[in-house]
Amino acid sequence: MMYLQGRYKVVLAPGKLLLGVMLLLLAGCASYSQSQHTIQQSLINQNPAQALELLDKKKNNGSDQFLYHTDRAMLLRMLGKYAESNAEIEIAKKLVEEFSATSITEQGAAFLINDATRTYTGTPVEQIMLHVYAALNYLELGQPDSARVEILQVDTRLRGFMQDDPDSPLSFDPFARYLSGIIYEDMGEWSDAMIAYRKSYKAYQAHQDLYSIGIPAQLKSSLILMAHKIGLSDEQKKYEQAFNLKILDLLNARKNQSELVFMFHNGLAPVKREHAAQIFSPVAGRLIRIAVPGYYRRDNSISRVRINIQNQNEKTNQYLYSATSEVTEDISSLAIKTLESYMPAITARALARAVAKYKMAKDAGDKNPMAGLLVNLVGFVTERADTRSWLSLPAEIQTARLPLPPGNYRLIIELLGYNNHVVSQQTVENVQVKKSQKHYLSFHWTASSLNHGLAGRH
Amino acid sequence: MKNVSRFISLVFISFLIAACGTQVKRVDVEETIDLSGAWNDTDSRLVSEEMITDMLERPWYSTHSKRHKSSPAVIVGTVINKSHEHINLNTFIADIERAMINSGKIEFVASSQERQEIRDERKDQDLHATEASRKAMGQELGADYMLKGSINTIIDMEGKTQVRYYQVDLTLISLKDNRKVWLGQKKIKKVVKNSKMRF
Repeated sequence: MMYLQGRYKVVLAPGKLLLGVMLLLLAGCASYSQSQHTIQQSLINQNPAQALELLDKKKNNGSDQFLYHTDRAMLLRMLGKYAESNAEIEIAKKLVEEFSATSITEQGAAFLINDATRTYTGTPVEQIMLHVYAALNYLELGQPDSARVEILQVDTRLRGFMQDDPDSPLSFDPFARYLSGIIYEDMGEWSDAMIAYRKSYKAYQAHQDLYSIGIPAQLKSSLILMAHKIGLSDEQKKYEQAFNLKILDLLNARKNQSELVFMFHNGLAPVKREHAAQIFSPVAGRLIRIAVPGYYRRDNSISRVRINIQNQNEKTNQYLYSATSEVTEDISSLAIKTLESYMPAITARALARAVAKYKMAKDAGDKNPMAGLLVNLVGFVTERADTRSWLSLPAEIQTARLPLPPGNYRLIIELLGYNNHVVSQQTVENVQVKKSQKHYLSFHWTASSLNHGLAGRH
Repeated sequence: MKNVSRFISLVFISFLIAACGTQVKRVDVEETIDLSGAWNDTDSRLVSEEMITDMLERPWYSTHSKRHKSSPAVIVGTVINKSHEHINLNTFIADIERAMINSGKIEFVASSQERQEIRDERKDQDLHATEASRKAMGQELGADYMLKGSINTIIDMEGKTQVRYYQVDLTLISLKDNRKVWLGQKKIKKVVKNSKMRF
């Protein structure tokens, strides 16, 4: 008995000690999402200026520089600095081009150390959002020509995803297509607008099966109106029947009108956290650790916005027009679905890495037990999940399209909670809507809180 | 021993890599340098020169000269970028203007923005300049034709290879009667192969 106890002591005590020491060491080196905590906190407090200040202090030239520039682009945009935001987006786009080729050295490091050693170039959703936000920046700067360039680039990128993975609904993005349609419509290129709306419709239908997103009512109207405009009467009738809408009603609501296109960027995209399993193998006397990322949604209390419009010189509470926003892009769900589709590959890599690290420690240990221990420790501590993602992206983009006669307006934006009560109210003064032109306006709401349940497992 | 030599060569290689800092080499502006495959200065220069040369060789020019006994006066209107790239249209328009003026065959009228600045200056002269040096108003040369155009692209791709096809269309429109007197077209095709691997 004593003998047995003694033997257990010899084996177990250093193991436990080791595990304890290693966990302490692990806590010392934060993962990407943890390292961004203070910046995220400023955003949650709706203080993008402070978040930008904190981000600039952290200037990053390493493998995370894509995220530095994308975060910067988003924060500058929230502060209304659209041109500067686009300069950052251009840098991020160049990084994607430069680093999307597979690096031999980085692949080696990813196999021996962890996935986070690779240069980050964004997920497909993030790469699409680069163009979407560049286009929105240009639209808000009053440069629809340049926004058109961005939607052509989005088309090229989407075609690339389609070639890589033709069967995945994630290879086509409904909102990017819908925005393309709006921009073509604005430029007077009706047939291109029609094509874009059709592609968007198809994409929403495919995404409906993946997560809870509906076909926006505004897209239904756009399909019918555009088919009518270019004289596709069969297609127009088909949509009228399918959506139970009448062309005359739609036309009446839009007589000689300009349009206000309102974009509501709600909440913050989900955050990745590390999920790790660590065990001590008493037989081999080695520590084994496997770490993979998992998404957590960041909830917020705003479900939609109601936009009330009145003439700028109106003093009463009379509203000319009111509209409620619709979800047109569910970035959270897209990000979660994308990660889910990558999970088998990520897990396989983590397992292969664990085997490789185990083998290295064993080989070193065969020659010198101390070296074996050291290799094991290094392998253990370096096993971290890749928790990088574009954290300043919103959770969703909502859109409202308001037909209006040209004029100068005041917008009263009511943020609605889940039970339709008004949580907060903001006023935007002097919105100039010009004759037969679209006016674009964005509104960001970043207050949110971390949901502690793992996303994607409901 | 083997390990030591391996280590030394590794250190040596890393020094070599570290030596690749910023380098500056001056090149001739006429030299063609293709880096990313995007629209560049060479495209802008070649397209404008070739198109304007073509424009001046076409029948509308001799017809105009015969009828009016003078060179046509041209103004550059809008050139629309309908391509996949954020092309700097200012340098392209400047290249077109340069090619036209230097041909010596065309009277060239300043653009609407430039005209406004010159009018302001004339107004100022009216008040402050001596009578002898003062330039009168109402003596501007009205343009006979306006040059408009667009840059379009078609991108075809397969894996990491892209074929970029640029088409520049320029139209010369008579201001008197909206007649299109000349249509010019220039196409450029580039194959861009992005590497699948990097170090």
